[in-house]
Amino acid sequence: MIAEYGQLALTFALCISLALAIVPMYGSFKGHQTALQLGNPLSYALFLLTAFSFWALSYAFWVNDFTVVYVATNSNSLLPWYYRLTAVWGGHEGSMLLWLLTLSGWIAAVALFSRSLPLQFQGRILGVMGLVAVGFYAFVLFMSNPFERSLPYFPVDGRDLNPLLQDFGMIIHPPMLYMGYVGFSVSFAFAIAALMGGKFDSTWARWARPWTLAAWMFLTLGIMLGSWWAYAELGWGGWWFWDPVENASFMPWLVGTALIHSLAVTEKRGTFKSWTVLLAIAAFSLSLLGAFLVRSGVLVSVHSFAADPSRGLYLLAFLLVVIGGSLLLYALRMNSVRSQARYELFSREVLLWGNNIFLLTATLVVLLGTLFPLVHKELGLGSISIGEPFFNQLFYYLVIPFALLLGLGPWVRWKQQQVQPLLKPMSLIAIATLILALGTLAALQSIQANLALLGLLLGAWVGSSAIFELLQRLQQFGSVKQGLTKLNASHFGMTLAHIGFAVLVIGVAMTKTYSVETQVRMKAGEQVELAGYQFRLVEVYPLNGPNYKGEAAELDVSYKGDYVTHLHAEKRFYTVQRSVMTEAAVHARLSRDLYVALGESLNDDSWALSLYVKPFVRWIWLGGLLMALGGLIALCDKRYRRRTAEPKASTEPKETADA
Amino acid sequence: MNYFLLSLLLLTGTVQATQALIEFKSPEQQALFKQLTHELRCPKCQNQNIADSNAVVAVDMRNKTLELVQQGQTKQQVLDYMKSRYGDFVHYQPPLNKFTLVLWLLPALMVVGLVVLLLLRRRAERSSLAAESGAPVHGQLEQQMDQLIEQYRRKS
Amino acid sequence: MRKLAFFIPFALFIGLSVFLFSGLFSNPMERESSVLNQPLPAFALPDLQQQEKIWTPDSVKGKPFLLNVWGTWCVTCNAELAYLTELREQGVMIVGLYYQQPVDAAFGEVFDLTALQQEVALKLEQQGNPYQWNILDKDRTLIFDLGVTGAPETFLIDAQGVIRLHHIGDINPQVWQQKLAAAYQSLQE
Repeated sequence: MIAEYGQLALTFALCISLALAIVPMYGSFKGHQTALQLGNPLSYALFLLTAFSFWALSYAFWVNDFTVVYVATNSNSLLPWYYRLTAVWGGHEGSMLLWLLTLSGWIAAVALFSRSLPLQFQGRILGVMGLVAVGFYAFVLFMSNPFERSLPYFPVDGRDLNPLLQDFGMIIHPPMLYMGYVGFSVSFAFAIAALMGGKFDSTWARWARPWTLAAWMFLTLGIMLGSWWAYAELGWGGWWFWDPVENASFMPWLVGTALIHSLAVTEKRGTFKSWTVLLAIAAFSLSLLGAFLVRSGVLVSVHSFAADPSRGLYLLAFLLVVIGGSLLLYALRMNSVRSQARYELFSREVLLWGNNIFLLTATLVVLLGTLFPLVHKELGLGSISIGEPFFNQLFYYLVIPFALLLGLGPWVRWKQQQVQPLLKPMSLIAIATLILALGTLAALQSIQANLALLGLLLGAWVGSSAIFELLQRLQQFGSVKQGLTKLNASHFGMTLAHIGFAVLVIGVAMTKTYSVETQVRMKAGEQVELAGYQFRLVEVYPLNGPNYKGEAAELDVSYKGDYVTHLHAEKRFYTVQRSVMTEAAVHARLSRDLYVALGESLNDDSWALSLYVKPFVRWIWLGGLLMALGGLIALCDKRYRRRTAEPKASTEPKETADA
Repeated sequence: MNYFLLSLLLLTGTVQATQALIEFKSPEQQALFKQLTHELRCPKCQNQNIADSNAVVAVDMRNKTLELVQQGQTKQQVLDYMKSRYGDFVHYQPPLNKFTLVLWLLPALMVVGLVVLLLLRRRAERSSLAAESGAPVHGQLEQQMDQLIEQYRRKS
Repeated sequence: MRKLAFFIPFALFIGLSVFLFSGLFSNPMERESSVLNQPLPAFALPDLQQQEKIWTPDSVKGKPFLLNVWGTWCVTCNAELAYLTELREQGVMIVGLYYQQPVDAAFGEVFDLTALQQEVALKLEQQGNPYQWNILDKDRTLIFDLGVTGAPETFLIDAQGVIRLHHIGDINPQVWQQKLAAAYQSLQE
């Protein structure tokens, strides 16, 4: 019965979302206070009903109710309880329910945290989000119902969760990702509400910014988790594959990053308005496009859910309504809004525009690489593939000017910047950059003009610039100590996020240049040396897990004779799904990862093993984490918690060189 | 620490010859094999390169690549060999022809276009500001203000 | 002018949607064959049941025929045997190219020719034998050169030994009518 209650709750939720889409919006146009005030209770009701529905599905997984088709397809009685619960989002229908939960969560959050927004504006925001919700709730109820039963027949046991998903990463990666994707619907709603009202002052930007930052932060975490999980789980030491589904998450992230920077300009200087609105629409549109690409079967991907053309058609129609409708509204309403601002060519505005140029060109590159094969084929020109070599080549060209600008940006003032005062700090930073980069390579006793050098130079440039600028800014308060308490959170967030980017670039460049690997055959007791490390195979023995069998290998690793660590690698055979999984052994340090994957047993009592030493690979995820942390800190800035109900009451910037 | 970093330079590390799963005549051949297996796509899989896939056709392609590399063929020769059998689809780098040129051209145009957009916008905003507030007087006041602001900034 | 510029994002999106729509109805894994209008690649492979007989491109050409890649391990291939046998009875010449799966040496599997021959004979007896003869491609060399990725796949070869069509998937009445029949007939003339 629980499953039926879950479905019932979802049906009520659809009705509530319909009310949410219509009532506050109507109230906003007619000035009907009661209608507007219904927005909050409707939002909370939507969230509670969806949460109940989600709980109902989780319960079905918990008790192994295989009469529910979705549970039978994605779970098994032998599956450990924590994977039974994460299997809720292991397939299409359940992951859509997670999407709904996330969406209703953001809607409730907007209802809860917008006391400083004028009611009319809030009503429109909730109305837009309600409209988006209607589309998704209808999609789940009518085309992807997770509560469908197969009664009167039902399987004795389920088909088990795909072994690739039976990992810790599965527990947090999708929820974080969805929080990000769906979170951009808030900035989208802000943009549409503003388009409807025709007012785009800097208050609008100040309100929109924390929501955008929050969504961006979750998306950053989600993507980083996905990369880390793939590395740990897939057994070949890769951390990004430019797969269409990965690209589908990367595009909204790139546009989202451009959006937060563009919002900064609109908030501080009241310009770039039409651009910011377009970016807000684009970020969520790319989230929706991603959802379409992953679930429609239009592209080939290891990640994609089972394809269903009818679902694809619905989602495409939904895209046309939401994206097409919003872009049309944009075209009709935006040209009546004019920004007015003066700024010199050497100013923060222009540098932030430069940021946008490269982020958006990067988005175009990813979009082209992902969709061009489809276009090429539909035009009858044949099948081509676009993958790593193409993306790496173009990103290589884009990241260089981007990072150079990033190092310069935080120093440049709004409106106009004289070159002369910057000469000294920039020279100091340039010197620090050279010392750090060349110094690191000198320690390697190999100063070559390679990717690692480039990455170190760019990373050191951005990182040292960020730190110097922060120190200089703190000192403006009298002393660094005083500055620490006085400087706003936005600034700290910015510095940390930029440092995170520098760390990421260094990680990517170093690991790409200096990773080594070897495939060997080893018997128990034998030893192989790689990059100064000695890997000794101690023994290999059979395994018996809850829903798998297999072999495990134990290795001892030493460095120049000194014991470093013990590694445990597995090769699992999942009996129900009949698939083989490699559980790689990883020894993680900031300076390098040791990575061992167990291969097949060879006929002379030896085993095939893949050994890797990957320097600086942790820096990649550390960089992402720092960026997300920077976003979180920036979110906590006091000015977002300022209560101003009236749009007139505000918002002249207190400090001029702010983030 | 230094010695550890130094040893990273060794591309292959010291592996006893009998232990390597695949024998190569030179590190260049080994690197070429690795590069090729990562750039060639399995024609039957859900987007995997032939290094990671265990499909029969991927294994066959891998073995053939190994054979050709060990024979001393160049990267282009191996790619042509595979493409003549399985099409452009099996290489993750798209071919360069008048249709695919757009892949490189559009991003370049976008960068240029966005720069131009900024310049146009700036001009439009300045002229609308000037038109609204009576150009010369406003311009002068603005200039004076800017000068004053600079003065104070230099002092701090 | 500025007014119109604001419509550009909308226009671009609509353009993209057209391709997304058309993409919904096509199969992204579908690939065109790279060997069309080329002669059969060079090969010298034994007959499956009579190992002494070696087949080469010269020995197979002469009449237009279907070269059908199949294996007893392949469920779809077994399903299409009945219809292919019907086609044979109608006079269509079909030659089988046997796709031998790799044996896993790590598990101690060995290639057993006699067992395979018996298996094939039994299967063809049960489902029907459409093949004039079967070529055994033990190491999948011809299969690789033809750009085959699995089974069943069928090639239409003309009298001069040039590959005219490559069909991936099974052959059933619809496929025959829509895709292959006309081409086969025109080659007969």
